[in-house]
Amino acid sequence: MFTRILWKLLRASRGRLVVALVALVSGAAVISALLNLQFDIERKLSQEFRTLGANLVISPERDAQAMGWPADSAVLMNQDAVLNQVERLRTQELVAAAPFLYVVAQVKDRPVMVAGTWLDEATKLAPTWKISGTGIASRHDGTGSLLGRNVAQQLKLAPGAQMELSYLGRRALLTVKGIVDAGGPEDNQVFVNLPVAQQLAGLRGQIAVMELSINGTSKTIESYAQRLAANLPGFEVRPIRQVTEAEGELLNRIRLLVLSMVLLILVLTGLCVLATMAALAMERRADVGLMKALGGSISRIVGLFLAEVGVLGAAGGLVGCLVGVALSRWMGQRVFGATVSARWEVLPLTVALMVGVALTGALPLRRLGNVKPAVILRGE
Amino acid sequence: MFARLVGESFVRNPRRKILTAAAVVVGMAVATATLTVALDVGDRLAREFRSLGANLLVTPVSDTLPLEIGGVDYRPVDEGAYLEEASLGRLKTIFWRHNIVGFTPFLDVPAVVSADGRSLHTTLVGTWYEHDVAVPDGTKFKSGVSATHPWWKVQGRWFHDNADECVVGAALAAANPAVFSVGRTIRIANSKNLGQTQALVITGVVSTGGAEDKSVLVALSVAQNLSGHPGKIRRLFVSALTKPADSLSERDPHTLSAKDYDRWFCSPYISSISFQIQQVLPGTDVRAIRRVADTEGRILSRVGTLLWIVTLAALAGAALAVAATAATTVLERRDEIGIMKAIGATNSVVAGIFLAEQALLALAGGALGFVLGVGLAWILGQSVFGTPSSLRMVLLPVVLGLATLIAILGSLIPLRRAARFQPAPILRGE
Repeated sequence: MFTRILWKLLRASRGRLVVALVALVSGAAVISALLNLQFDIERKLSQEFRTLGANLVISPERDAQAMGWPADSAVLMNQDAVLNQVERLRTQELVAAAPFLYVVAQVKDRPVMVAGTWLDEATKLAPTWKISGTGIASRHDGTGSLLGRNVAQQLKLAPGAQMELSYLGRRALLTVKGIVDAGGPEDNQVFVNLPVAQQLAGLRGQIAVMELSINGTSKTIESYAQRLAANLPGFEVRPIRQVTEAEGELLNRIRLLVLSMVLLILVLTGLCVLATMAALAMERRADVGLMKALGGSISRIVGLFLAEVGVLGAAGGLVGCLVGVALSRWMGQRVFGATVSARWEVLPLTVALMVGVALTGALPLRRLGNVKPAVILRGE
Repeated sequence: MFARLVGESFVRNPRRKILTAAAVVVGMAVATATLTVALDVGDRLAREFRSLGANLLVTPVSDTLPLEIGGVDYRPVDEGAYLEEASLGRLKTIFWRHNIVGFTPFLDVPAVVSADGRSLHTTLVGTWYEHDVAVPDGTKFKSGVSATHPWWKVQGRWFHDNADECVVGAALAAANPAVFSVGRTIRIANSKNLGQTQALVITGVVSTGGAEDKSVLVALSVAQNLSGHPGKIRRLFVSALTKPADSLSERDPHTLSAKDYDRWFCSPYISSISFQIQQVLPGTDVRAIRRVADTEGRILSRVGTLLWIVTLAALAGAALAVAATAATTVLERRDEIGIMKAIGATNSVVAGIFLAEQALLALAGGALGFVLGVGLAWILGQSVFGTPSSLRMVLLPVVLGLATLIAILGSLIPLRRAARFQPAPILRGE
């Protein structure tokens, strides 16, 4: 009986219900789209910040650090000790990690800073590098090198040319495979793979620093650093403050900004749905009068209407949420150029919110207890 | 007669009017607040991004290759070219001078600190902390590492300009706590010319997270004297507020048409600012620090798009609220429409009365909503960026027009249905 009347109620006033449903669906769509985006925004933005490059550095312990010319007298680290631990503690937050060894070598009788690294990882570490030429895709390529823009200009070397690096009588003959435009000190360096630099410097198995790029909030980076430090006694693991501090602060601001705007819209949409539902409820006065006259108890009548409103809210929330998820995918594509993954926890949240708002909108029905059937039926 | 009808409707049922107006007020307040924030956010975030430090690097052209790691140049002082410190004030004369937030010159001198009979090799970094730069127009501009390297933290205090003081890098101080403690005096010599020495009082320990942690930082003039190159600098870091790169900024300025060139020159792109710096500092190579500039540009344009979408959602929400209440008003007043039509009102008169009412409500509600929205934006700006958003009166006509348009559009559909009403059934109460 209850469900039958409920069904009849829903079918009888289709026109009004469509208006209410449109309000509910569009409200739920906007809310769920923004909530979905909000959940993803921090992850997406911190990925964007990775173009800043390394945010964690492993170096020899401070007390042991020497001063002066870095390549000759600096205290170095054993490559295997560091690399094994970094590899063992690798999680998916680690975007890139590369060891570095610096040597001041001679090219055409001019001193040049040579950086030995893993060229495949180094380019991931610094995604803003513009490399012209073929580039080097493997860390085992012992015959190629990349030149910083200024080095190439001053030494008049183009991709494909041969050059000889020499250091204390040791020599390495290399082919220029690409020119790096980095807009920074890297423009003045020559990049080779690590074994080449180690052979040149006569420092087999040694590295000067290890740079890591880690995706995540400053807390993630901090805990990553602590985990590394606990497993690397005798080494210093330190976040690069320029990057982590600015990034944390900026992320916070942007998140706060978007969150407060989303909250504003949430309130607005909620109010809008509330107003529509309140209007709908008030229109039910005549029906209430008739039901009361026919002997319906007031609790049952109110229950009936609340159920009607609840069903509406749930249906609107569900449909709106599906629309909203599709909407947030489109937004993600527009803003980040990558799809925002659907967060299904948004679904119950939106449906609950919509049912709640719809029921609140039906609150004026409380006063139906005072309705005198005769008055209403007379049409007053 | 028309005016009286409209006026009467407001007086007779003020409660219903208040409900409609409230919807307009809330909707337009949110619209105003989000629009204000969205218009402002580019400038404000660009300013926040300056916490990443400098985004332009100026070096002398035709220089020998700097032997630098992490920002400290290990070249002997006699090698390579220099820039003139005296010409730096010209930076504040370029077209986009107000977008130059700060600039800091650096001069690195390989040096030897002698203490307790030992000599320690280190690098003396001459720079500014907060230096008054004389600008050619006669004003002063305060600049230094406080503006371009805001993440450098000092324990103790920074050196004063022109004083024989220094701050020591944290790594250097930690390695030699006996020599480098705050308050002690050290003797430092140019490693190429050991006769040239200088006594410096240590005023603080600086932690930079970079190679400077292993050096001694002093006022620029001290480093210049010790190096024997008075008035010279080696590198200049510039921090400038820029606009994200777009299709125009990526084209080569030499190939632009005269009109596009003007537009490029008059936009604060990083490329146009570096071009202008090169014009006032001839003989230099001005390069965008791409790591910083690219990241900033990407994130600024992403957040900008994001906020416009959120603003669009807010506008949609506001439109929904206003249109929904406008539609309900018309539906609720079927009886009135029936009577009007029964005593001879034409459809256009009925529509005119209702539209005039809605427009009046929208104007009043829109004005109030604008005031509330400005307040909201003020609070938002204060809580997110620490400074309130500026008032934009341009938005007032936009908001009022928007409110009127939506209210009228929202009533049009139900009014068209009202035009089909037959007075008789309505009056019978059906």
